[in-house]
Amino acid sequence: MPTVQLLVNALALGAAYALVALGFVLVLNAAGAVNFAHGDMVMLGGVAAVAASTLLAAGGLRLPGIVLVPLVVIVSGLVGLVVAAVGFWPLRDRPPAAMFVATIALAAVFEQSATAFFGPEPRAAPAIWDGPPVIIGGIALGRQPLALILVAGLALAGVYALLERTQIGRSFRAVAQDREMARALGLRATRLIVGAFALAGGLAGLAGALLGHQFFVNAGQGPAYMLKAYIATAIGGWGSVPGALVGALLIALFEMLVSAALSAVWAQALLYLSLLAILLLRPQGLFGEAVGRRA
Amino acid sequence: MTTTLEIEGLTVAYGGAPVVDGVSLAVPAGSVVALLGANGAGKSSLMRAVMGLVPSTARRLAVDGRDLAGHPPERRADAGLGYVPEGRRVFAGLTVRENIEVAVDGAAGARAARVAEMLELFPDLAAKAGERAWRLSGGQQQMLAIARALARRPSVLLLDEPSLGLAPLIAAAVFARLRAVAESGVAVLLAEQNAARALAIADTAIVLAHGRVALVRPAAGLSADDEALAALLA
Repeated sequence: MPTVQLLVNALALGAAYALVALGFVLVLNAAGAVNFAHGDMVMLGGVAAVAASTLLAAGGLRLPGIVLVPLVVIVSGLVGLVVAAVGFWPLRDRPPAAMFVATIALAAVFEQSATAFFGPEPRAAPAIWDGPPVIIGGIALGRQPLALILVAGLALAGVYALLERTQIGRSFRAVAQDREMARALGLRATRLIVGAFALAGGLAGLAGALLGHQFFVNAGQGPAYMLKAYIATAIGGWGSVPGALVGALLIALFEMLVSAALSAVWAQALLYLSLLAILLLRPQGLFGEAVGRRA
Repeated sequence: MTTTLEIEGLTVAYGGAPVVDGVSLAVPAGSVVALLGANGAGKSSLMRAVMGLVPSTARRLAVDGRDLAGHPPERRADAGLGYVPEGRRVFAGLTVRENIEVAVDGAAGARAARVAEMLELFPDLAAKAGERAWRLSGGQQQMLAIARALARRPSVLLLDEPSLGLAPLIAAAVFARLRAVAESGVAVLLAEQNAARALAIADTAIVLAHGRVALVRPAAGLSADDEALAALLA
């Protein structure tokens, strides 16, 4: 039954895009500005997964991708801290456009560094769960999409629990809503914002490692992921966390269905056309504020 | 009476023009000082400067004898300053309970106990504890803003226009609560447009005009109809 397989694949892709969009919108809310290097943080996660697997294989150790996931998340979290240290911290009292421009420069640095280190050719990240398809109810489902849904779902649930059930999460949401008032209540807003960058980096890197097996990893793919996060946030409503997650799932479903019906090229072209239509017809998206109130 | 908040020579300037100009005042523990003045007299700027939210200079700005001049807002909050801003500014997407808990430090049990104390103190909020703050009425949001500030056990409470936009009955309830807060030992500095209401609960009235202290009088016996006061508030 290809339709079920198609939907499972779309859900897997949507779950990975949701990780990308969640990190994007967390930083957008915390810092009040777009981190333009977010797509390249996804790419660097894929690079970290490929590099780790290659190095270990050279040492005679062939580990499944799932074992590398914690390492990739830690490395990517550190990348998030670098973005915070360079693109946010020195500019925290400047207008949002300053961070936007600084992170454009960082994105270029990441892309060029990855090209120099990694080369321009696409490389495959290790599979999270390798092996023949799993038969469920007579339907053959790929292990990688199932693993992707599971890992991304766990990560999303973990972030949800962090935001909704812990004092750090409450503090983060307070800072995101009114940074000045949060500071007047004694909350350490800058620390929380830097933490949001680290979390966003970890989520982006995880997405890069998960997507890197099926869609490969190459140094130039950051802007495409950045656009996906941007579109998901525009669809869901600028600044809305649930909106971004729904937006990510809708993008994945759209890409899968249009790719199956027409082609992947058409899927991308029509996706960007849809973004233009959303910006024109419903700039506030499904749940949030209009795009453009924050740079 | 111990003086809890001491301000000497506080100046705030926007673009080189002073909006608060060398203001000195003191708020003793357990008292309410009403800060009155016409629109644009500098009341909100003074409050924001005391909280560290706008750049300012001062010879001295101390809470419980500890000089806080130059400190960021979070350090001032730690030192005992509580702030209820104009417009309430509750965290709309957080529940009532979360709005209070987020302001409290310490372990989960201690935070929950403090939230329970605040909900007992403000029974109107207890019934709405699980609701998002944007669903509250203006009066309830004002109570929440006060409860949130009190949850940190401040020694000084700064309130900026707490009656703004409230129906008279609701405003009266808010002000009655403020008097009770002061009587519990907190020093209350109350910036308010509604002079009659502020004077009814204040011990001292300070009137600002063009950013300077124009009048300091005991509130007892001072009426909002007083000629000198009315002229300054016009």
